[in-house]
Amino acid sequence: MRKIPRLFQMIGIILLIYFSFIVLFDYLLDQVIPSSLLRMYMFFIIAGVVAVFTFTEGSTEELLAPIMEMMENPEKRKVRNAVLTVMPILVGAYLYSQMVPSVEAPVELRSIHPAPPSSVKLFGKRYNLQTLVNPLRKYEKDDPEKFRELVREGARVYIENCHICHGDKLDGQGLYAVRLNPTPLNFRDVGTIAQLQESYLFWRISTGGPGLPDEAAPWISSMPVWQDFLTEEEIWQVILFLYDYTGHRPRTWEE
Amino acid sequence: MRRVGLITTNILSRIAVGYAIAGLALVLPILTLADLGEADKGEEIYFQHCAGCHGEEGDGLGPGAERLLPPPRDFTSGMFKIMTTAFDEYVPRDEDLFKMVSDGMPGTSMPGWSDLLSDQDMWNVLSYLKIFSGYDEEEPGPELAYGEQIPSSAISIGKGKELYLEDDRCTECHGLEGKGDAKKRLLGDNSERTWPRNLTKPWNFLGGNDPREIFARISTGIPGTQMPSFADEASTKKLSIEERWHVANYVKSLEKTVEVVDPQNTVVKAVLVEGDVAETTDDPRWQESQPSTFFLVPQIIAEERQFTPSYDTITVRAMYSEEYIAVLLTWDDRTKSIPGDATAEKISEEGLAEDGVAIQFPVTIPDSMEKPYFGMGDVANPVNIWHWKSGTTDLPETVSLMNAKGFAEIILRESPDVHATGTYLNGTWRVLFKRKIATENPGEDIQFSEGVFIPVVFAAWDGSAAENGSRHTMTTWYWLLLESSSVWEPILAGLIAMLLVIAVEFWWLRNIKRKQLAD
Repeated sequence: MRKIPRLFQMIGIILLIYFSFIVLFDYLLDQVIPSSLLRMYMFFIIAGVVAVFTFTEGSTEELLAPIMEMMENPEKRKVRNAVLTVMPILVGAYLYSQMVPSVEAPVELRSIHPAPPSSVKLFGKRYNLQTLVNPLRKYEKDDPEKFRELVREGARVYIENCHICHGDKLDGQGLYAVRLNPTPLNFRDVGTIAQLQESYLFWRISTGGPGLPDEAAPWISSMPVWQDFLTEEEIWQVILFLYDYTGHRPRTWEE
Repeated sequence: MRRVGLITTNILSRIAVGYAIAGLALVLPILTLADLGEADKGEEIYFQHCAGCHGEEGDGLGPGAERLLPPPRDFTSGMFKIMTTAFDEYVPRDEDLFKMVSDGMPGTSMPGWSDLLSDQDMWNVLSYLKIFSGYDEEEPGPELAYGEQIPSSAISIGKGKELYLEDDRCTECHGLEGKGDAKKRLLGDNSERTWPRNLTKPWNFLGGNDPREIFARISTGIPGTQMPSFADEASTKKLSIEERWHVANYVKSLEKTVEVVDPQNTVVKAVLVEGDVAETTDDPRWQESQPSTFFLVPQIIAEERQFTPSYDTITVRAMYSEEYIAVLLTWDDRTKSIPGDATAEKISEEGLAEDGVAIQFPVTIPDSMEKPYFGMGDVANPVNIWHWKSGTTDLPETVSLMNAKGFAEIILRESPDVHATGTYLNGTWRVLFKRKIATENPGEDIQFSEGVFIPVVFAAWDGSAAENGSRHTMTTWYWLLLESSSVWEPILAGLIAMLLVIAVEFWWLRNIKRKQLAD
């Protein structure tokens, strides 16, 4: 088998890693990788790969052999002249493209489900979110009739306050949903309330957008601070309704 | 990437609706529709999904109703807005009802249910809700006569326009340019306020915007509202079938695609102009300026809240010179709200106020992602607010400048150096703001600079919908960009880099030659 020149091996490895990142993030994880992050990763990867390929003097020589061959061998003059013409054009064009001011809005990444604080002040009282449970959840077993009544109350709270954004179907497609950025959460999705504890929802509903930690960009969230408009009981009721209507179960510590 | 997800769901739901319609078309010829549903099965679905707005008694008085405009349909009234029956028939066709449930009503909070409920579920619920109006025991009316559809053409649109304007036939409510700027106050069947449709925004048509659907609205009218039937023999404004197709084609042609919101476009681009920036709202240079249209949402975060807005979008253009920046805001408003003016008072809701619009900037352009809270800033991050009001019969238009650190801490600045002027014509407000690029108070005023993404929020008040103070519509953060004027810098940099590389190449070649000669 003919050996692939080490130069092309090196370029091949770098390209392989580059495309692996794109496949992994953009396609497998469905999270488009920001170009600035990708640039940073690639800087270290290229540095590392080059270091490995130039570990000894011999290996450096071997690596550069095809380049030296092209430059020095008079038979390869045509290839050399072509490369020497294209190189400055590429460099000039790249620098130009980098310096032309962008009219694309900056990409801003925010965490959708940020880690909750361990304790938080809600309704003028201090709550430990680690231990807080929905005080109405117990009726699901103890008194199913009362539980149905509480869910109905939660439905009323929802239809009075929440559906214009989160939708009649709890699918995040309410009347004003398309007008908002970030868009309202889809509670039917398995990635939202199904992954969370009821205490987390209690915290998110009570303190709304302004109660988010910085990594979740509180300055753009349109979620109102519902402790200003609803009672504690109403919030626990609407949480019962969210799980009941979608058929999801809240996460608990026992799991 | 969340946006990508949203688009995918939209497409999926469209496909789902498409299948539902296709499925319906297959079923229709085979079965008699009235036999499709079972009311007792529909009752359970009705209580789970519909009663929240339409009420347990079907009277449209569910707990959700209070904050909705248009209000949920009152099934006991026997009036259904979107029908394709012949004139003077009150019992809607089953297809009409099914379409409402399956596809929903654009521009209202009635969603399409076809992605959640099966066709059978929807037929069942229809059988149940017909009981509220007693239509379960009546035969639906016959379908209206469509005649032969006249395809749209310049000639047809021209004829339609004549008929539209003739005797104030359509203009009385829909306005000269179709913006829905009515000359009278309109009420629905439960004496709720209704607004004539803005015909330039067909995506808000309750019954769809296909010419055939528009033809049906013109022919049957919209029961429960003041939209009459133009097939009514007794009407002085009656139109023949052919004439109605012309009007439908004309209405369809009114769509203003320039002002459709493009969710990908979040940046208002201000271009550098020679000399002075525009001083008037009709400066011809605005025509060349690239518009960016954003959705307005009602403000429901701080009391007093607004749940039933009449505005839905605002369009922004901007330009700047060495010294000034000018921003032009345009938006459709059915009413010019001038307190004290007799016509305006007559059309308005209780509590007529001035129309208004505002632009908000952070006082300091942030260099990280962190911005002031979009609702009037926060304690650590103050904002500038430029606020224009349309004036009353006694007072001219005004502009004020505020510095805010949240809803509670607002300082009205004296002698603002912001200028604003507005004009209203045929259902559209155009308001121009102008300020110096740099001011003498960098600590209190935003200082504009080229090539930087500047966060910006817009807000608007419809005085005739009793919007005043915190009752208004607004956007979240978007961007304003003063496009960089230095076109030569990048070109120069590219050329220098190219020359450097060429120099290195020559040096290298020379070294190689020397070495080869020496060998």
